[in-house]
Amino acid sequence: MALRMVTGKFRSKLLPMFSSSLLHSHATSFGFKEVHEEEKSRMVSNVFSNVASNYDLMNDLMSAGLHRLWKDRLVSKLNPFPGMKHLDVAGGTGSGEEKSLIWVEGDAEALTFEDNSMDGYTIAFGIRNVTHIEKVLAEAFRVLKRGGRFLCLELSHVEVPIFKEFYDYYSFSIIPALGELVAGDRDSYQYLVESIRRFPPQETFASMIADAGFQKVEYENLVGGVVSIHSGLKL
Amino acid sequence: MARASFTILKDAGNGLCKTLSEILVCPLSKQPLRYCEETNSLISDAIGVSFPIKDGIPCLVPNDGKIMEADDTPKTDDSVDSSSTKN
Repeated sequence: MALRMVTGKFRSKLLPMFSSSLLHSHATSFGFKEVHEEEKSRMVSNVFSNVASNYDLMNDLMSAGLHRLWKDRLVSKLNPFPGMKHLDVAGGTGSGEEKSLIWVEGDAEALTFEDNSMDGYTIAFGIRNVTHIEKVLAEAFRVLKRGGRFLCLELSHVEVPIFKEFYDYYSFSIIPALGELVAGDRDSYQYLVESIRRFPPQETFASMIADAGFQKVEYENLVGGVVSIHSGLKL
Repeated sequence: MARASFTILKDAGNGLCKTLSEILVCPLSKQPLRYCEETNSLISDAIGVSFPIKDGIPCLVPNDGKIMEADDTPKTDDSVDSSSTKN
């Protein structure tokens, strides 16, 4: 995860971060498969090891470059101010030369920062891959200061008629084939599209954010719900 | 996993920049961490675990921690992950 100490344009990020399963043993989802909780972290880790070398290229191809605009939209909601401390979780490949970023490798379910230490928290295309969403939300709430904002950008659910059918076709027929062609890895991209379907829909995720203690929880759909930006305030 | 060796922290290789050392805590106990120059690691005295710093990046995933009394023993507290320890 990257800790940002000064304001400026917000960059992409560090290595993918994985949650470790902790206390109880029960099943969770890995795409459409049911897997033991303790397996999910390792399996997700394998996916990201496999996709790392083509990560940025595949993101550009799959979204026709739109993922950059989506991240810009996320950043525009940050309202940065000088001296703010901002935490970005699930950092990706860490490309870019932003010198004001500080890197830490850690666990989104067990953050390594003090309570009430962050002015902002973002997680972009990461929360779908964690084992316990509630723990990640609880930790985000813990480290944010009062008045701090939580922002999550994630692939979400499309309900727009007709467009939904096109999107499903694109997801299940085109994406895995593209993964095979470009990255030589159909399975990882099959996991990608399945994990999107398994992630809670917008309203459900919003109520989970509220359950973690956040107020003024809202979300904005982009591209008919292909991605959604959820936000909440710690008051 | 593919990994870039950024050294964005202010003190190259060793140590941590002041800002980071002020806000980092142990991921499990949430108590302060102590930097150990000799081993270039972060020590959680509250639970007796040390976390490595690799390429200037603190590795504070709970499974990265090592119990300090027994050298090379992976941390097992709250975890059943049997991944091997890196040093």
